[in-house]
Amino acid sequence: MNASKKNPRLRILLAALGGEGGGVLMNWIVESARNAGYAVQATSVPGVAQRTGSTSYYIEIANALRDVDVVFGLVPIPGRVDVVLSSELVETARVIAAGYVSPEQTTVISSTARTYATAEKMALGDGRYTQENVSRAAEKMARKCFLLDLGKIAIDNGTFVSATMFGALAGSGVLPWGVDKSRIILESGGKNNASLAGFDAAVDAITALHNAPEQKGEEVESSSATHSTEGVSIPTDLPQELQKVLQLGQDRCIDFQDETYGEEYLDRAKSLYEPADLNDPRTSHAVIEACRRLVLWMAYEDVARVADLKTRPERFDRIRREIKSRPGQIISVTEYMKPRAEELADILPVAIGERIMRRVTKGGRFPFLGRGIYVRSNGVIGYWMLRGVAALARVRRRSYRFKHEQLAIEEWLNLMRQALDHSPAFAQALAELPRVLKGYSDTLQRGKSAYERIMTQIVRPVAKSGEWEKSATLLQSAVAAALADDTHTRLDAVLSAEGETSPDKKLNTPAMATEVSC
Amino acid sequence: MEVSFSKEIEKLRLGDGETFHGEGILAVTKALLQSGVSYIGGYQGAPVSHLIDVMVQATPEMSELGVHVEPCTNEASAAAMLGASIMYPVRGAVTWKSIVGTNVAADALSNLASPGVMGGALIIVGEDYGEGSSVIQERTHAFAMKSTMWLVDPRPNLPSIVNCVEKSFELSETSNTPVMLELRIRACHVQGSFEAKDNIAADVSTTRRLAEPAPHNYDQLAHPPVTFNQERLKSSERMQTARDFIQAEKLNELFEGTQSDVGLIVQGGLYSSLMLALAELGLVGTDGKCELPILALNVVYPLVPDELVEFASDKKAVLVIEEGQPEYIENEISTLLRRAEVSTKLAGKDCLPMAGEYTSEVLIAGVGKFLREHLPKIGNSLKDDEFADEVDSLRKQASELLSEPVPPRPPNFCTGCPERPFFTALKLAEREVGSFHYSADIGCHSFATFAPFNFGNSILGYGMSLASNASVASFQEKRPVAVMGDGGFWHNGLLSGVTSRLMNGGDGILVIMKNGYTSATGTQEVISSPNTQIKLASAEKSATQDETTIEKALKGVGVKWQRTVHTYKVSQMRDTLLEAFRTKFDGLKVIVAEGECQLERQRRIKPIRSKALARGERVIRTRFGIDEDTCTGDHSCIRLSGCPTLTVKSSSDPLKTDPVAHVTNGCVGCGLCGEVAHAATLCPSFWRADIISNPTWWDRLKASLRGYVTGLKTA
Repeated sequence: MNASKKNPRLRILLAALGGEGGGVLMNWIVESARNAGYAVQATSVPGVAQRTGSTSYYIEIANALRDVDVVFGLVPIPGRVDVVLSSELVETARVIAAGYVSPEQTTVISSTARTYATAEKMALGDGRYTQENVSRAAEKMARKCFLLDLGKIAIDNGTFVSATMFGALAGSGVLPWGVDKSRIILESGGKNNASLAGFDAAVDAITALHNAPEQKGEEVESSSATHSTEGVSIPTDLPQELQKVLQLGQDRCIDFQDETYGEEYLDRAKSLYEPADLNDPRTSHAVIEACRRLVLWMAYEDVARVADLKTRPERFDRIRREIKSRPGQIISVTEYMKPRAEELADILPVAIGERIMRRVTKGGRFPFLGRGIYVRSNGVIGYWMLRGVAALARVRRRSYRFKHEQLAIEEWLNLMRQALDHSPAFAQALAELPRVLKGYSDTLQRGKSAYERIMTQIVRPVAKSGEWEKSATLLQSAVAAALADDTHTRLDAVLSAEGETSPDKKLNTPAMATEVSC
Repeated sequence: MEVSFSKEIEKLRLGDGETFHGEGILAVTKALLQSGVSYIGGYQGAPVSHLIDVMVQATPEMSELGVHVEPCTNEASAAAMLGASIMYPVRGAVTWKSIVGTNVAADALSNLASPGVMGGALIIVGEDYGEGSSVIQERTHAFAMKSTMWLVDPRPNLPSIVNCVEKSFELSETSNTPVMLELRIRACHVQGSFEAKDNIAADVSTTRRLAEPAPHNYDQLAHPPVTFNQERLKSSERMQTARDFIQAEKLNELFEGTQSDVGLIVQGGLYSSLMLALAELGLVGTDGKCELPILALNVVYPLVPDELVEFASDKKAVLVIEEGQPEYIENEISTLLRRAEVSTKLAGKDCLPMAGEYTSEVLIAGVGKFLREHLPKIGNSLKDDEFADEVDSLRKQASELLSEPVPPRPPNFCTGCPERPFFTALKLAEREVGSFHYSADIGCHSFATFAPFNFGNSILGYGMSLASNASVASFQEKRPVAVMGDGGFWHNGLLSGVTSRLMNGGDGILVIMKNGYTSATGTQEVISSPNTQIKLASAEKSATQDETTIEKALKGVGVKWQRTVHTYKVSQMRDTLLEAFRTKFDGLKVIVAEGECQLERQRRIKPIRSKALARGERVIRTRFGIDEDTCTGDHSCIRLSGCPTLTVKSSSDPLKTDPVAHVTNGCVGCGLCGEVAHAATLCPSFWRADIISNPTWWDRLKASLRGYVTGLKTA
């Protein structure tokens, strides 16, 4: 039994989210312990955490015939837990942070699967917790560590994570009884083959980890889809990463508009990288980021683009895969669209677009617009209607939004070139600025207003005064602040602090930095 | 309630010599039957919901035993049930979550405790204190003392808990006093075993009825002039009898130890945590015996002076281990020792923290401190500092390696919860009218106080939201909003909120979440729960739509402005809210936000669907999704929803660095995503897929025609 001599008992802490079947798993473990002839006690604090909140279960198993002969604990003691079994990686982090994992005695068996917390999901940018840190902490701090995607094994076998957690626990060798004695609990569940299949798969998976201890962690992300075809006008002496972005960018712009637009993209990119000193890692990073932002900006999402993307055959294939549709099932796909006058103006020729926008600003009304409509994109009418809208791409070059976007892009490019020339740090921050331009309708408007405010209050004045290096931190803070909340409270704070202090002092105020980083 | 407790019910039938394996609160239920109760009542709430749930489903078994089971509408009504034991020789038990439930029951409890009882009366309270608790942190102990009811706090293992339940009835009858038995959260949920006994059918019960009512006896009324004598009886005869019984039956347990210079006095419920702490300190031998003498108080009120004086008098110092504040037990022991002129040093809250749960970690530090001061020969060689250092360094190392604080993960609305869309609508309304005073309440809707909604200026108790903003309404320019569930409405809200506001002609907006159940406690039924007929008729639709008890009650008491809106109609809900904010109508405006609890709905329709699928019938499943190539990664949809299945994932587009929104396969197709996209004019990335299994020939014909005309695969 994997337990300290002082306390000859096995102490297991289960960490899970409410609704994952942690209680069921706890009872399976209790039942198998009893069947194997051990005394056992288990408890939990479900409360309202059953509604997807983080929760835990605690089990003590002792080498005694009767439960009453042992004084069992109800609450785990930090540093005195033998096994931590967790369904989710950040829940493992929570257990580690609370001090339950000790190099002396704790075996960590954790799923690498992530269920993002609301706080992580609702960020305007990327609010996700750094997973690599959790894996590193688990591997460093545990006596033994098994990290594997128990969630995926469960899905692959059509069962719940409780079954694969049970399998991983049984297969890890920490229980003082054989795998079969655990497995039998699920067998008695009769026809419930999915649980059993998940259990077996998890036993196999953890046994494989056991036999190959050097491969502890799993690759969390693998995104290395490199393009094999070399672009005609992309110089091969550029950094690999930049070449990749340029190639993707050119393809994207061709897909968005036409060959010419793709070349325009490369020309614009060239105006950034050619004069720049790419040996300076900061400059190189700024150029790559700028080229990435440039293509996302150039291939903006107007109604024609959205309609086009929504009617591609590969999109319907993707939906089929996502909903796991089976042969013989009929799928109907409905889109939720709410085109307003603004979106119509965007794609129409400049003169008409401007007239519509004038009317919008005056508060004028438009028939049929601004109402939510349901479009069946794989139905006859819906499909051809969307194809019709997609065809507007042909007039895009003369459209209202195209004109305005190109002007804004040119201004940003121009400032970007100057920044690259003067301050790599400022250039890095400026390359990130278009990131605040996101979403559609109100969300996009909010982004645009943040962009414009940062341009007016920081970037343009800096271009005049030439204080590039000094203003880099401020710009960086402002971009971060614009992405911190959707009411711009944080941005207001950063920009007003900037307005109050004199240009010389403003950049070194530590208060500003903490304001943004918190 | 669609959950089945058939396995649990089976355990209640166990007899002499059989071993019961199961949860703590179920063991209590079994102990009640072994004690021959005539009636059981209560109000649901973690951690004691199971007791009521199991009892309600076990109606056939209970009628065999003649036990009357009553899930009450609130704790006051449960407490009042115990009135049966005042004048009849019947045993009864009620249960609720404490401290909140005891607060609600307080009036009835005072009136029960004063005349005292003839039949055993037991109140099982789930002491919702410490980790996992969902209520304010207060002690039930105060209620026991002020009403003079005995408080039992058993050692947290099933044999001890079961024994204490059985003894509590005897104690109650001997001393004519109601007894409270408190179980902490982990003790309620503990999985353990005990040797069962046969159930006992009571002499007076639903099957053995009394022909005559009890005679009129003024002494047993909680009414002057007899209340004055009752008060005297409490502290004299009843308390003395109780103390004698406790001592004679050895309800408190003395564990001898070799180090007799000091001693520990502990609440029974903390015994196991204490033992683990002592083991960690190296004070427990291989035989499981502790070196320090321990007096475990399974009855924490009343204390037995003789026992305590005897335990303390030959020692240099004793430590009272008493969780929560204030330190009632320690103070009383202090008085007892002083009166008996015992000079033993008394330690307690000077070694242990005043507030918070006494986990083993806390106890290691506290006992360590006590021993270093009062038994230095052992205290100075303890390893408690080493342990504390070890834990500190583990936490420090963890925080360095993790480098950022772990994100909080509070409970959330379930996938497909009908309350979520209401809060989306409220957020959208807020964008137009500006922020307003929001009075929150107890129930699932309290989750709206968390991200992403962050609503709530105050929470004043169950069903109290409307009452709590009566004064706010008088000085706020904008109308305040109160939200309560149908559970809260029937528990308290109708009377203390609605009728009070109506009587005073006050303005304000009340929203009642009509989901059909008290969902947060495990979907127990309320008076307005849809009945079987309605459920059958509504099939896959919301079953609360045609249940109008709430609307009728509101009309009956005189609510003039009343709207019922299905919560998934987000735009309509937003417009109704705006109307309530802006209307000239001066008075109470009530919006009934209707939508059946998704947990219950899913439990109801899943079997219907799988049966239909098995029969080869046409079944449509709906699921939502997001086009990742049009999603820009702004996540405003998430900030307006917070659905567990609406999450993020890394974009497969290498040019996009921010994660895109994504709907997982847990989606139940509730439709909120699409409604939000429309109501908030969000983005065109959402799609809805209707998946037709076992399509008819007409479906297939249409699909192939569509495929022909669009060039897309349709099947």
